[in-house]
Amino acid sequence: MELQPIFIQILSLAIFAVGIVVAISRRNIFFVLMGIELALNAVNLSFVGFAKTLPAELSVAGQIVPLFTIAIAAAEACVGFAMVILIFRNRESVDADTYSNMRG
Amino acid sequence: MTNIPLWLIPLFPLLGTIILGAIAVTSSGNKKGAPENLVGAIAVILPAFSFACVAALAYTMPVSGLHETICNWIDIPLLKVDIGFQFDALSRIMLLFVTGIGTLITLYSIGYMHGDRGFARFFAYINLFLFSMIVLVLSDNLLLTFLGWEGVGLCSYLLIGFWNKDLANCKAANKAFIVNRVGDIGFLLGMLSLVTLGGAGVLNYDMLNHFINMLLAGGHVELIMPMLFITCMLFFVGCTGKSAQIPLLTWLPDAMAGPTPVSALIHAATMVTSGVYLVARLSNLFVLCPDVLNIILVIGALTAFWAAFAGLYQNDIKKVLAYSTISQLGYMFMAAGASAFDASIFHVFTHAFFKASLFLGAGAVIHALGGEQDMRKMGGLIKKTPVTACVMIFAFLAIVGFPGFAGFWSKDLILERIFTDCTWVITGSWLAPVVPMNKIFYIVGLFTAVVTAVYMGRLIIMTFFGSYRGSKESEAHIHEAPAVMLIPMIVLSFGSIFSGYLWADSIGIHFFADSLAPVLAAAQSVDPARAFNSSILLSEFIPRAVEHVNPVIFAALGTLAALFGMFIAWKGWMHAHIPEAKDSSAPKGYAAGWTFMWDYVHAFFVKGVYVAAWICEKIVDACLQAFQWMLGAIATIVGDGATVFQVRKVRLQLGLSLLGIIALILVVLLTGGLV
Amino acid sequence: MLSLIYFIVLGLIALGAAVCVLLSRHPLYGALSLVVSMVSLAGIYGLLGSPFLGVVQIMVYAGAIMMLVTFVIMVLNGARDSKTPMFDKVSLFIFPAVIVLAGLIGFALVRAPLAFDATTLRGSVALTSQTLFDVAQTGPGYFILFEILGLLLLSAMVAAVLMAKKRLGSVESENTEGNH
Repeated sequence: MELQPIFIQILSLAIFAVGIVVAISRRNIFFVLMGIELALNAVNLSFVGFAKTLPAELSVAGQIVPLFTIAIAAAEACVGFAMVILIFRNRESVDADTYSNMRG
Repeated sequence: MTNIPLWLIPLFPLLGTIILGAIAVTSSGNKKGAPENLVGAIAVILPAFSFACVAALAYTMPVSGLHETICNWIDIPLLKVDIGFQFDALSRIMLLFVTGIGTLITLYSIGYMHGDRGFARFFAYINLFLFSMIVLVLSDNLLLTFLGWEGVGLCSYLLIGFWNKDLANCKAANKAFIVNRVGDIGFLLGMLSLVTLGGAGVLNYDMLNHFINMLLAGGHVELIMPMLFITCMLFFVGCTGKSAQIPLLTWLPDAMAGPTPVSALIHAATMVTSGVYLVARLSNLFVLCPDVLNIILVIGALTAFWAAFAGLYQNDIKKVLAYSTISQLGYMFMAAGASAFDASIFHVFTHAFFKASLFLGAGAVIHALGGEQDMRKMGGLIKKTPVTACVMIFAFLAIVGFPGFAGFWSKDLILERIFTDCTWVITGSWLAPVVPMNKIFYIVGLFTAVVTAVYMGRLIIMTFFGSYRGSKESEAHIHEAPAVMLIPMIVLSFGSIFSGYLWADSIGIHFFADSLAPVLAAAQSVDPARAFNSSILLSEFIPRAVEHVNPVIFAALGTLAALFGMFIAWKGWMHAHIPEAKDSSAPKGYAAGWTFMWDYVHAFFVKGVYVAAWICEKIVDACLQAFQWMLGAIATIVGDGATVFQVRKVRLQLGLSLLGIIALILVVLLTGGLV
Repeated sequence: MLSLIYFIVLGLIALGAAVCVLLSRHPLYGALSLVVSMVSLAGIYGLLGSPFLGVVQIMVYAGAIMMLVTFVIMVLNGARDSKTPMFDKVSLFIFPAVIVLAGLIGFALVRAPLAFDATTLRGSVALTSQTLFDVAQTGPGYFILFEILGLLLLSAMVAAVLMAKKRLGSVESENTEGNH
């Protein structure tokens, strides 16, 4: 049995699913952000996995796009944690359920 | 010594700016200010080095000039410009007197600005100005010239408003900069239309000449004549701004609020001549549009005439000299309009010497009287300050065109060339069947020369002759200027005597004209009557007939005009009783109306802009804000409606979205979308 | 064969660390588990022929981003609400939903024909830099994106600084200082 592309995609899917679960089902706000990071990582893995199945010129994309994704994840983490600090000042709580201003 | 690199010439003043600027900033904390000896030495030595480089290069310059490209500046499909320098006959002449007179005036300023708290700052600005002017003159393309153009405008602003604690000085500086800016729009648009005509690389002077030769060889100049006309007019608008012609001349009299060396350097000798330099540099382009040259002639003549009378109405010694500068610049533009570009450059050259002498002398007078500038409070200074008086009288004789002095050779040359070279006639007017414009302009020029002699004579007589009309205490303090101020004045007065002999037509010396011939001869030989079909031009031209008018007649008429003016001045003011001056030196009554004529025109346009701004604020802005408010209101209403679909908890909301995604995927899969 | 073994080991570590993130109570434990997961993913990148990406992952993700996360957790005392239950009714609803979603996506993936291509380029530093800094735009135009990304990072930095700045003399900051 050799390493096959589908294994990489399945792994990526699994990590993505775990990441989504962490992001939505945990109440602590830090876990939400960490879950998002996990999901982004899974997407990167998927890209690299697909890149290996493409011929020479097209495969470069699979190396480059994850770089951009990492950079954007860094920017998003930065801004996200700044917002967490800002919200924390107002509410003194890291429980996501207490951030409920939306009416409905 | 042709291996002196050209970029060394602007480098010295730039170094001066940086060093002196650093000294000015670091010494702004302590009480006494910068050490004056050190600052003065640095400020004078660096322009002197520049002058030495220029002189060394000037001796050994080959006929085709020296060209040097430093690096590429802009390289896009629309525009290709390099940073390069070009040292040919025209820029050689300009550089010689710019750096030479700049060094002398810097030396003078060491004495004039002694004790001023901003001593180092002043010399930093002066060096920055010299750098910009050198770049303007030395550059080999229009865009770099424009950089220098803007730089001298900036330095003019900085130096006019140098004593910036006084609001009037700041307003004058603002006015100078803003009026110049209006002209600069013309320059920029001219460059843009030139690039539209000639392609990306046409801003380089060599490429421009090449382009013009191609146009002439192709023989279809009339096809692009409207565009050429617009281009040349736009460039000329830029020149009217910088060289203070109608309609953009209102800044120059106000610019006298700056220190007198600034007025001498910038507003007499160098910056205001950059407009004339630009016309000479673009002479090949301008002669393609004889209509533009006619417009330049008309404006130059009107300006010279108007400014001469305005000079007559002034009481402040520096304002008289300011209007005199405007008038002489009008002469230079008249020469350019008659296709006599070398004559206009020659007058630039001699004018630099005698006008700088006059301004420096006025500065020495003001220094002697402890700050008094009103001529009604002066008088009889010839006994107390003989050297200053001598310098100013020599310069006065030069400016009125007394035989033997510089102005005699240059100003009469201009008038002569207007008579012989201007081929414009107006046919079919109500005055006469054929109106030869060259004779008309000659008469206007001669009359203006008379008025020039009158107001300059008035200045000399009111300042130096008669009896002193000021207060007794100030009379006791009158003293001759120190040597550091006198030496430049004396050198410049020698210049105002002898610089004219470089081109003494009547005695057969053509040195100046021959040296400029490689650059300007091609443009000057174009005869519009022979070169263009009259269907494309607005005016008519007679062929340039070889009229054998004896040049002695021109010289005689010029001398008569000068003597007549001096006689009127003598009669009018020598023994006149000048009433005691209690009020400010500004002109009153009809004199004010004449002097501030163009300020009223500008005020009209400024009022127009105010009205447009009011309309924009009350109407256009209100409409836009109403529109924005409407958009915001719609967004608020829609958003309020959409909150019906929100649940309190974020996580539950996300979970519901997840359900929606699952539903979507199911739909796609079941309808055979993905696999 | 060897690559399959490496992949299984690293993949199990990555997945296990991800599950640890899910199940940990203290956010610091979660952060550390996340670091482990990221490092093993970096190893997988190296295995798959993108060594540059693997190193960047470690430097940026496992290094910088997780350092930021850890810092903020410690500053804001992230375990402060550790008495609340970890999973509640909403989580009960989420688990099956995610499993269904993963199942659907997995179904679509398995049906697609995938095979490794032999001519795939190895993502070395030289290749990556050649592609990224391709000013002449001979390939896909990543250069502009790269520059824009720089701007994006700059603006994110500025936004974060502005948002998290302490307003001097505000009621919240005085309350915070008084409480500690």
